[in-house]
Amino acid sequence: MSSHAQTPASQDLEPGSFRDPESRVFYAGDEVYRALSPDGLSDFEALRESGLLDDERVVRTELAEDAAALRGLLVHEPAAVLRHERIPFVSYPYEWTFSMLKDAALLQLDLLLAALDEELVLKDSTPYNVQFRGARPVFVDVGSFERIREGEPWVGYRQFCMLYLYPLLLQSLKGVPFQPWLRGSIDGIRPAEMRGLLSFRDRFRRGVFTNVFLHARLEARYADRPEQTKQEVKRVFKKELFVANVRKMRKVVDRLSWDPPEGVWTAYGERNTYTDEDARRKDEFVREVARSRDWTLVWDIGCNNGRYSRIAAEGARTVVAVDADPGPVELLYRDLRSEGGERILPLTMNLADPSPGLGWRGLERRALPDRGSPDLVLALALVHHVAISANVPVKEFVDWLASLGAAIVIEFPTREDPMVKKLLAPKREGLHPDYELDFFERTLNDAFEVERSERLESGTRVLYFARPKRG
Amino acid sequence: MSNVLAYLDPGSGSMILQIIAGGVAAVAVTAKLYWGRLMKFLRIRKDEPEAAKAEPARGSD
Repeated sequence: MSSHAQTPASQDLEPGSFRDPESRVFYAGDEVYRALSPDGLSDFEALRESGLLDDERVVRTELAEDAAALRGLLVHEPAAVLRHERIPFVSYPYEWTFSMLKDAALLQLDLLLAALDEELVLKDSTPYNVQFRGARPVFVDVGSFERIREGEPWVGYRQFCMLYLYPLLLQSLKGVPFQPWLRGSIDGIRPAEMRGLLSFRDRFRRGVFTNVFLHARLEARYADRPEQTKQEVKRVFKKELFVANVRKMRKVVDRLSWDPPEGVWTAYGERNTYTDEDARRKDEFVREVARSRDWTLVWDIGCNNGRYSRIAAEGARTVVAVDADPGPVELLYRDLRSEGGERILPLTMNLADPSPGLGWRGLERRALPDRGSPDLVLALALVHHVAISANVPVKEFVDWLASLGAAIVIEFPTREDPMVKKLLAPKREGLHPDYELDFFERTLNDAFEVERSERLESGTRVLYFARPKRG
Repeated sequence: MSNVLAYLDPGSGSMILQIIAGGVAAVAVTAKLYWGRLMKFLRIRKDEPEAAKAEPARGSD
């Protein structure tokens, strides 16, 4: 840990890739590389021969011939270096909705089954090995494939339970969002903890008794004899057992479901509270900005049903659509998935409490702003929620937007707006004096050059397109 | 260095569970297979029809 942390290359090492000693990810320029140990290389050769490397569910990968001097990255001297396709925006399972985590789980299991056919296995089962290219999950950890060994059980089974199955069960059976649990623990939910969260009745649900109750009990019972157990398992374990277990798990996962509450569906379908003319002009405003140049990365914060993400995608390579409510994001994901879209990445996150850096040194999983700066941010129908519901001062919010260094499209609903009235109603009279159009405009002008603004027909909403001030 | 240990701890209980659960599953799969054969033998169930042919590819734009 100490010596190689000093090498110059370490600045570009992916801080989330150190657990597996056979392969490490690093960056050089715009490219993503993976250094392999001799063992890692021989597993890679086996993967290449199997044809699985060309599977479209696996991140595009090739051997890099121009491997630079990479001493000290690995325990072993790197035997080879791979180059990977870059995923436009990195996201984590605690930002995904139910169907995203489920699809990642199925991808993991399907690849494992395909690997087993080729006498390979996946050595781990973490959702951090899956990334989304738009609404399409991609398996990014090529280093996870290795040749199967005689008598080897499914090593990643426990991890699969902790990071995939239990979070999905929690949401499916209990209606409890899994995101805070995954954000709270990088290793997920332990079997004994999961057992504590379920009721007696739950053990009759498919897969629950075995994977939760029995699992927790056996774990407690065999905790103090790992060596002995390993030998015994190795003696009796057969590949057929492995395959049977994975197939069974696939069935369990495939049957899990979760739907957003009724109200979300209704709101998702019908668009919003204002008049058609307003909606049309707002569309036009956003469209004009979107098409005014070739945007690389757009954040649509408070994306709701993704209407403006879609418009932004007309002129952007990647749109990250974020909303604190997982309901509409779930529905948006399902739509994008069936459309086969790869430009819009739907995520759920509360911007008043965004994803922090997590894991070892707080660097293994990166904080939101450390994953690539946007060049355009859409903040439509959002500022009132942030200012009034989350109590973030207006100036604070505008300053944060300015700190992103991106152009913005922002919408300000005035105090007369029905939605603003609704949010203010339960509050004490005289609260949020900073929530005024004049004050907002002054604040905006301090940090941005406002290029265009437009008051919508109904008069209670104003749109702005602004660029950050240089300096 | 003979490194046959996975970097991940599979968990002793988790391994035992796979033998139990996998064993049950393996028995179930075998039983299903023989059940299917029995049904066919008794002519209660017909052979599965061949998968419908894929639709001819539509012209793309």
